[in-house]
Order: sequence, then C-alpha cells, then structure tokens
Amino acid sequence: MKRILHIFTVALLFFVLSTSCAFSTEPSTIGITILHINDTHGHILQYLKKSISSEIPVGGAAQLAAMIHDERIRNPHGTLLLSGGDMFQGTPISNIFRGKPVIEIMNYLTFDAMVIGNHEFDWKQDALMTMIRSADFPVLSANIMDTKGHYIPAVQPYIILERKGLKIAIIGITTVETVTTTKPDNVTGLTFLDPEKILPPLLQDVRNRGADVVIVLSHSGLDADRKLAKNVDGIDVIVGGHTHTAVTDPVVVDTTIIVQAGCFGLYLGVLELTIHRETKRIVHWTRARELKTVFSGPDNPADIHVAGIINKYNNRIKDVFTRVVGETTVDLVQNRRGESNEGNLLCDAMRQETGASIAFFNSGGLKITIPRGKITMEAIYELLPYDNVLMTMDLTGRQIRELMEHGATLPHGGILQTSGISVTYDFKKPVGERVVNVDVGNNPLNPMNVYTVTTNDFLAAGGDGYTTFKEGENIRYGDSLRDVFVEYIKKLSPVGPKIEGRIVIRR
Amino acid sequence: MARQIFVYVNDEPVTVYEGMHVKHALISCDISLYEAAKNEEIIIEDKNGFEIGLDGALNEGERIYTRPNILA
Ligand SMILES: [Zn+2]
Repeated sequence: MKRILHIFTVALLFFVLSTSCAFSTEPSTIGITILHINDTHGHILQYLKKSISSEIPVGGAAQLAAMIHDERIRNPHGTLLLSGGDMFQGTPISNIFRGKPVIEIMNYLTFDAMVIGNHEFDWKQDALMTMIRSADFPVLSANIMDTKGHYIPAVQPYIILERKGLKIAIIGITTVETVTTTKPDNVTGLTFLDPEKILPPLLQDVRNRGADVVIVLSHSGLDADRKLAKNVDGIDVIVGGHTHTAVTDPVVVDTTIIVQAGCFGLYLGVLELTIHRETKRIVHWTRARELKTVFSGPDNPADIHVAGIINKYNNRIKDVFTRVVGETTVDLVQNRRGESNEGNLLCDAMRQETGASIAFFNSGGLKITIPRGKITMEAIYELLPYDNVLMTMDLTGRQIRELMEHGATLPHGGILQTSGISVTYDFKKPVGERVVNVDVGNNPLNPMNVYTVTTNDFLAAGGDGYTTFKEGENIRYGDSLRDVFVEYIKKLSPVGPKIEGRIVIRR
Repeated sequence: MARQIFVYVNDEPVTVYEGMHVKHALISCDISLYEAAKNEEIIIEDKNGFEIGLDGALNEGERIYTRPNILA
C-alpha cells in the first residue's frame, strides 16, 4: 500500500511538474502582424518618386510581393494581409483591363480582405461585380445597402478569421461621400449608411461570435477614422485609406490604433501587435516607422510570379495602345488662342455624354495634333494624358460671360473650347468688355438664365484662373473624359470636325 | 450632388467641391503650387505632418501645408 502511495505521489509530482513546465513555456502574449496597403489605384509598375530617391524606383508590385513573403515568414501563423480600398482605377495598365492585373496579383498574394473604396464604382456596378466575383478574397463593406436594405451581392459586412487561436473580426466601411462624389448612374440604388450608426450593433455581433480583436477596414480617410475611433467604442485597430496619408507613426485615439499606408504602392504597412493571451488586450504595438518603403530597384528582391503577371499585361497593353478606336477625315488640331476642331470634337463628346446645354474645355488640356487617318488608343492617351473626369454644374448666363471674359485676358492663350455656345471676342476692347456676342444654341445668352454646363475637374477647381467655375450649383461628377472621348469617336467614326465659327476673334 | 467645401492651403481658405482631391485644392489656391507639387518640388502634408498624395481625398475644413522637397 505504501509502495502504491509512493508511486502515486511520484506520478502526481511528475504530472504537476510537467504541466507547470508546459504552462511556463507558453508565452503570455500572442504576436499578430497586420500587413496593409490602400489606394494602390492600379500602380503595379515601379516609378520614380523624387521625395524618396531620384535613382531607385519605388512602388513595384513584384517587390511589394517579396516584402509580403518576408513578413509572413517572420510570423507564419499570425499574419493578416489587408487592403484599404481604391485598388484598381488610375493607371493605363489597370484601367484598360478593368482592374484584372491587380486582382490577379491580390489573388496570388492571398489577401485576407479588402474594403470597397469610392473609386471601385468608377467603372459602373457591373464592372465592380465582375471584379468582386473574380477575387478569391472577401470583399467587405458593412455600410453599403441596396434599395431593399440588403448588402450588395457577393459583398460581406465582416469576416472573422482565426490566427494563433485568436478570433479576429474585420469589418469593412466605405466613405459615405461615395454617393455624392461618384457619377450618379454608377451608384444608382445604393445607400451609404453612417458608420457611427451601423458599427455599434455590428461590434456587438462580432463580439458575441467570439471576436477577440476587432479591426475596422475603413476607406473613409484619416480624419473620419479619428472621429470614428472617438465616437464608437470597441474598435481595436482601424486600417484606413482614402486620404492617401502616409501615417508613418500609428495614430492612437482613446484605445484605437489607426494606420494608413499612403498610396500608389509606395508603402507596405506593417503593424505588429502583442496581445495578452488571457485578457486579449493589445499590450504593445508598432509605435513608429510602421510604413516600409517598397523600393523597386534591380537590387531589391522581386517575386517572379507577380513580375510575370505585370509583364503579361504590359505586353498586352502595347497591343491595346496600337488598337484603332476610329478614324478622322481631317487633321485634329489644337489651338490655344481660338477655335480648334479638336476642341470642338471633344466638347461635343462631353456635351453629348451629359446632355448639358454647354461644354467647356481648357485649350491647354489638348496636348497633341492627331493627323488625318486612323486614331489609336495611344494617340488618345497622348492627347489627354491626365485622368480628368467630367463635372456638370448649373451656371447663370452672367457667370458664363465672366468665364469667357477671363479667357480673353490670358496672355498665353488658353481660351475655352466650346460646344453648344458661340462667342465673339473683340481683343481691341478693354479687359472685361471683350466678349461682344454670345449665343447659346440659336438664342442670345441671357445673364439671368441658368444653364447646365459640363467641364472637367481641372476647370471646376478654378484651373487656369477660371475661378467662376467654383461657384457652380448642382454639381454632378461624370465619367473619365478619356473614356467618354473614345466612346464618342467609336460611335461616330469617321469624324471630321470643322472650324465653324463657335469662337470668332476680332483683333 | 456635391456641395462646395472650404479647405485651407497653408492656412489660406479655398473652396473646392466635395469629392475633389488635394491637387484640386492646390489648383484652387495657386496653380503654381500644383505645378510644383506635380514636379515634386514641394511635398504636401496634413496638419499632423503626415505626407499626403495629390489624389488624396479632402474633408471640409481640412488644413494642408506645402514644404520644399529637399531631395528634388
Ligand atoms: Zn478613395
């Protein structure tokens, strides 16, 4: 009996020692790494950024991929890869293929989630649906609803992932301004709800489902994220986007950590969290230098597969650029000091797209003459190199006259190209009296009447000193100017715009 | 429909339309600032000193600042 008791005592002691040993080797904290990018806007090709380096390019997706692999190796079971939205629109290689190269890269890199950004609506809802369906990763937004109050198809409000035994909820939020800052047709039937109203019940929901850590993946901008952190309890981390802010050192509001990784693939955000195993509280986090620059020179490691995706589309883009979009029977010529047939054609395209009474375009925005014959996509990109969008507004006749008077003062030209309106300038007259006749259609411009005017975002911001454009009412955003022009030429080809007396100048 | 909002460039108030970007605030304030920013001669920062991109979104009342790019 004594011997049995002795064996039992030894066994018990062994058990206690071995289990306590096991407990003592288990760390009291868990390391989680959140990798994040946002607002890539199709930038997968490397480029030079002089504020970083005048020699080593940055922003290549192949180098970004290599950095992501390295970070994952450092924390193989505890890493998340997130996108803060606005991933696709913004470069020829992505625009022409409607975001496909970016999606392919994101699929290969096995992103854990992406939130929908406002620019995800730039190519209409059908194109967005195609992109979402081709994504192998969850696309999130908890505050976009359709007319029936449902989340939009294939989009989830949140997901809950598990890393190292921790449950991590990721909730998507899209900027509520999307509804006013996107072409209305592209967001028809959608409502963008106030995040501060929808988040508290969702936070409760994910906590009820066992979430230990809550991340809000927010395409709302840094100031909006600060406000959210202040007004909504229970968010551990906000991974942001939209304002293209390089938040080098994470911002902390109350107990919420906010990060954002600039834009255009320039940075990989690496937020390391140390979480207490018992309390699930974040006890340490990266407090400084959270953004790693994506250097993309020859000495920087690159992922071969991603480089292959980029090469594939880069080669295809050469084919697309040589593609003929239409034909012109005359040379399309720009003219900064008077009417140009190229300006007439572009302004007609703008006016037809929006149905406005008048279209104006800045002469300096037309960059090349397109010779008679076939018009290639490359020529369109050379003619209109900037990513301008159409903007339509209401202006009075008095304001329209003011705009044209301003055009008559510009010393190096820069007169407004027009559609729907014809104007006679007398340059011998004093400044402010040089517009001597204006007709809209067949009627004289009435200073008291309100006219619908389409222009581009450069002029709408008061570009070239046309500040009266900043006084418009009922502002509507439209499509990409380049896309509108391409579609117009395709439809009407062959085109043969003439000088037809829209702008008459007496000198 | 987008409304007019006020933002501040180097503490000078300018108007832009909601949905416009940092570059539009520079255009609205002084086109030479926009040209300098495009040529990377200046860097744009928010009120906390974080660099912001020319295509970054603007909020009502936002304050942005320009500083010379010493590397350019
Ligand atoms: Zn955005």
